[in-house]
Amino acid sequence: MPQLNSVYRHREFQDLLTLSGYERAGGWNGLKATLEMTPDDALYAFHRSGLRGRGGAGFPMGRKASFLPVDSGKPTYVVCNADESEPGTFKDREILDKNPFQLIEGVAIASYGVGCERAYIYVRGEYGHQWDVLERAIAECRAAGHLGPDAFGPGAAFDITLYRGAGAYICGEETALLESLEGKRGQPRLKPPYPAVAGLYDCPTLINNVETLAALPPIMHRGADWYSAIGPEKSPGTKIFSVSGHVLKPGNYEIVMGETTLRDLIFNLAGGLRDGREFKACWPGGSSVPVLTAEHLDTPLDYESLASAGSFLGSGGCIVMDDSGCIVRASWRLAHFYRHESCGKCTPCREGTGWLEKILGRMVHGEGRLEDLAMLESLFGRISGRTLCALADGAVAPVQSALELFRDDFERVIEQGGSPVPEPMGVINA
Amino acid sequence: MTAHEISEFLAPIRHEFPDQRSLILPALRFAQEEQGWLPQGAMAAVAEATGYSQAYVESVASFYDRLYTEPVGRRVISVCTTLSCMLRGSDELLAHVAANIGTDGEGTSADGMFTLQRAECLGACDRAPCLQVDSNDQQGPLTHDAADAIIGALRADGAPTRYDR
Repeated sequence: MPQLNSVYRHREFQDLLTLSGYERAGGWNGLKATLEMTPDDALYAFHRSGLRGRGGAGFPMGRKASFLPVDSGKPTYVVCNADESEPGTFKDREILDKNPFQLIEGVAIASYGVGCERAYIYVRGEYGHQWDVLERAIAECRAAGHLGPDAFGPGAAFDITLYRGAGAYICGEETALLESLEGKRGQPRLKPPYPAVAGLYDCPTLINNVETLAALPPIMHRGADWYSAIGPEKSPGTKIFSVSGHVLKPGNYEIVMGETTLRDLIFNLAGGLRDGREFKACWPGGSSVPVLTAEHLDTPLDYESLASAGSFLGSGGCIVMDDSGCIVRASWRLAHFYRHESCGKCTPCREGTGWLEKILGRMVHGEGRLEDLAMLESLFGRISGRTLCALADGAVAPVQSALELFRDDFERVIEQGGSPVPEPMGVINA
Repeated sequence: MTAHEISEFLAPIRHEFPDQRSLILPALRFAQEEQGWLPQGAMAAVAEATGYSQAYVESVASFYDRLYTEPVGRRVISVCTTLSCMLRGSDELLAHVAANIGTDGEGTSADGMFTLQRAECLGACDRAPCLQVDSNDQQGPLTHDAADAIIGALRADGAPTRYDR
């Protein structure tokens, strides 16, 4: 059950909140190695490492970087998505809290590769503490010359601007994030054009998640071949899973992809369930993915295996529910989330998420009818795949899969006249 | 907050944004620090400092949950009620906090000291059930007694000198 702290360097070394501490832990070795290459060779190394985007979509990072045109005549931007808001996901928060310099180094490495002189880190508004940590780290980097007019060598400038969101899940969607960063309402754009061609200020833009960029320093220091040899061929490297809900040791676990099963993650690393409780369900990749049952517990944790099991690796936010929980109530709570966070731009999402919440709500509160199940089923295809961004698909996936896998539970809740409020797990000091 | 004060705040960061429209969000956040919400005067000052119309500035502000276009209490308490927190008792925590500060669920206490709101996932599911005061670090896992202690300490603190929401 291999754990490997590559992104979570702070779990191996002390004092990573100071620049000197980070240097003692091998900090900047990745950037130094990168600066000895041509930008093209750096891009090729990203590609060869096999690193895939850790924000949720899993798109190969090196390929994404290679889509940026080199001859656009415009500036090129790197944007780091630190708008971590996917329910069940708190992995980036720990990087920002405890290992900010590795993120800064990763942003610098990506920026050198694509020829960017100013990168932006968009931090979710609620992460006030994390913002303060990052602000201090950037100030320290500027004072030491790691950022500024000669960051990449004499006369080769590079700097990072921090940008603070103000509370909107949708701003984690890359084009909504760019809109927000441009001073607009955070609503997604029509794609194409993709950000690689026309992103921030209509310029070529590479946008990546915190964990993706923080993975780069060890890759560039130890080599793309080192990284690509870890884990399965199509899903190499390490991935951080955030485990929460009905487990005894909720927390973040950085593991080698493909070598740990869902069962190991939940029952060994995250401490398992309370005595006398049985596993009921989990959402393995944040809440926007299909739910899995006990039958799927032996699935290895990598992109392909989770997709074969009918779900997605997503952001790696694994929410666990034991048999004290009610799948209908859980689905209703998630539907509330998506209804609240829908930006309202696309009608199928704006209206559809409202209907999902309303129908599930009446089931939970004893006003459901058996016909409601058919009505729910008729909604899924009218919402999913009919909008500009993936929020609507994310709203449908957990509900649709729950109805498919736990239909008996839905029928029982309707027939019993509602979902009783369970005794909450509460605070447990494992 | 005057347009002049906002302009002074923006001066050192203007060069970091090729399009000055990007300054609206930082300007709104800065303007909110004074009173903890954005009255019409603050919107007008942001509009003047950034060169956009007040109507446009308000259209941006109204999109974001953490920019308040109505008055709120001296402290905003956000109790996360999304799934991971719900499984660990967030609904009960929300009801307990409401009873402590004397609101009927979400809302502002009669003395204007607190606004309680249910929040969507705060990114602290390992601390479930959790709450956040303004945009301070998320606190949890919280027993009801621990929540009472947090509220008691806030009452003793009085008003903050600047509001970071």
